[in-house]
Amino acid sequence: MASAVQTTGLSHDERRAYLFLAPLAVVLMGVAVFPILYSFYISLYSLKLTRPQRAPFVWFDNYVAVLSDGQFWSAVERTVIFSVIAVAAIVILALLVALLLNEQFPGRRVLTALLLIPWAIPNVANALMWKWIYDSNYGALNGILYQLGFISSYMVWLGDADKTLALIANAFVWKEVPLAAILLLVGLKTIPADLYAAARVDGANAVKRFLHVTLPALGPSFALVLIYETMMAIRHFDLFFILTEGGPGDASSVVAWRIYVETFRNLSFGIGAAMSYILALATLALSYAVIRALAQRVAA
Amino acid sequence: MSVPRIRAPRLRPRWGRSVALWAASAVLLVYVLAPVAWLLSSSFQSEREIVSRPPHWIAQKPTLANFAAIFSAGERSVTYETRRAADPASGGYIPSTASSLVPALGNSLIVACAVVMLNLLVGVPAAYAIAKIRFRGRQASLYAILATRVIPDIALVVPFFLLIRNLGLLDSLWSLIITYLAVTVPFSVFILVSYFESLPDELDKAARVDGCSRAQTLTRVYLPLALPSIVAVMLFAFLASWNEFLLALMFTQTPKSQTLPIIVASFTSDFTISFSFINAAGVIAIIPPVILAIAFERYIVSGLTTGAVKG
Repeated sequence: MASAVQTTGLSHDERRAYLFLAPLAVVLMGVAVFPILYSFYISLYSLKLTRPQRAPFVWFDNYVAVLSDGQFWSAVERTVIFSVIAVAAIVILALLVALLLNEQFPGRRVLTALLLIPWAIPNVANALMWKWIYDSNYGALNGILYQLGFISSYMVWLGDADKTLALIANAFVWKEVPLAAILLLVGLKTIPADLYAAARVDGANAVKRFLHVTLPALGPSFALVLIYETMMAIRHFDLFFILTEGGPGDASSVVAWRIYVETFRNLSFGIGAAMSYILALATLALSYAVIRALAQRVAA
Repeated sequence: MSVPRIRAPRLRPRWGRSVALWAASAVLLVYVLAPVAWLLSSSFQSEREIVSRPPHWIAQKPTLANFAAIFSAGERSVTYETRRAADPASGGYIPSTASSLVPALGNSLIVACAVVMLNLLVGVPAAYAIAKIRFRGRQASLYAILATRVIPDIALVVPFFLLIRNLGLLDSLWSLIITYLAVTVPFSVFILVSYFESLPDELDKAARVDGCSRAQTLTRVYLPLALPSIVAVMLFAFLASWNEFLLALMFTQTPKSQTLPIIVASFTSDFTISFSFINAAGVIAIIPPVILAIAFERYIVSGLTTGAVKG
């Protein structure tokens, strides 16, 4: 392909390539790059939609305001708690599911197909499903715990500030496990059988084979799942909106929820944009790791 | 004599293995299906039955009234006075927004299909260029495309909102189509690039020698071969658009442009609405994606794991 004739500095091939990329570039410039820059611009103004005529330029005052706000830091703390619970559960469950699906047995394919159900259903449907399960009057969770004798009377679930983050995390985990399991399964399938055979010859039992062969070889897939799910957990919004709206009190008011409240309830677009930027920067390092891993795999 | 002694210890762990696998499969099945089954079961219960304590796990008097209410809601206007009397079978808690559900179904379908088409129109040429044409900035362009997905959607909400408002596209399906395209197309390009890369470069050379232009090479040679990745891209773009909630929440204001997730979410915040009715709406929202996911399981798994095998 190096045979292209040089004419105006750009080869024919290069001009063709840029032409093919142009529509995508227009879309991404207009609907991704420009909004990101625009967002930074907004974050330097004290823009409130309640008084759109007066929006003074305030430099980094919005960032200072956000970072010195106790509510914001409580939201950060809740985001961290939610993410740690959710990601830990996702990784452990997904690993168990992947180990199961890596075995050969009748019905494995059907099981894999059914596993896609949580992944496929809309977040909103997932949220209303769990809202109904957790319902304190008629929900399934109370029903089953009561019938099995674990509780003697119906309990409040989402309305209990001590439980609400963990319960929302559970709904999140249920939806995220399938994707994580499938990514780990691919990692498992690439482990050469020789390694296991060698370990057997060395007298390693199943536990030792898992610890010394499976886990190290699974490293890269594991890292990808861990980072990707952390990113998803930190930015998650839908479940918080439908299950609790940040409540009870502030018990589930995570950063994504605070951004929504500042922007669309308080109509403080400047503060909302600043908070968004802080959230984006916080996940930047994670995102970079994911993108590098993905791009290297494809265009290596 | 020695043969049975060798076989016996082998057989026992195998038998134990399949019991363990079946048990683990059963646990996984219950974990995945039980919540959905409960949603489904309660969507067939009447308002009277759904408030049983403890709950009826299987509807004793299954009824289609909730679904009938959704699909006939457009035929009558529901006011505050008439909403309780509206439908005796389901207890009558038909929300005033129920009549928006069928149009919302249509809106979701239109948006999802438009996003799928645009994904292919914009994504396929770009992916072909990155995979098969040598040009300066090839690797960097892939990085840049993936990098646009770095920013969380919630962080794009403010600029998107102002942008869409200034373009006069608030409450129009176009606002959703454009933003969903930008959100879905990077992953589409990623899947397509990795698939094109796996097709031999010789095809490209041969077609060019035969006098095909770049565009012809793409449409006549590579496109038919890349069908599995095209299917995967269509599925992901469709599902992402069908399921998206946050951006639709920002941009849509009336039933003219509201999508299914918005209407369903509006039910959940209305305390007067029966859960059996909400659950029926939820069931309607999950049927299309679940059918697609199960029917095209192979394409989805291969799409999700794109590049993972090479790594």
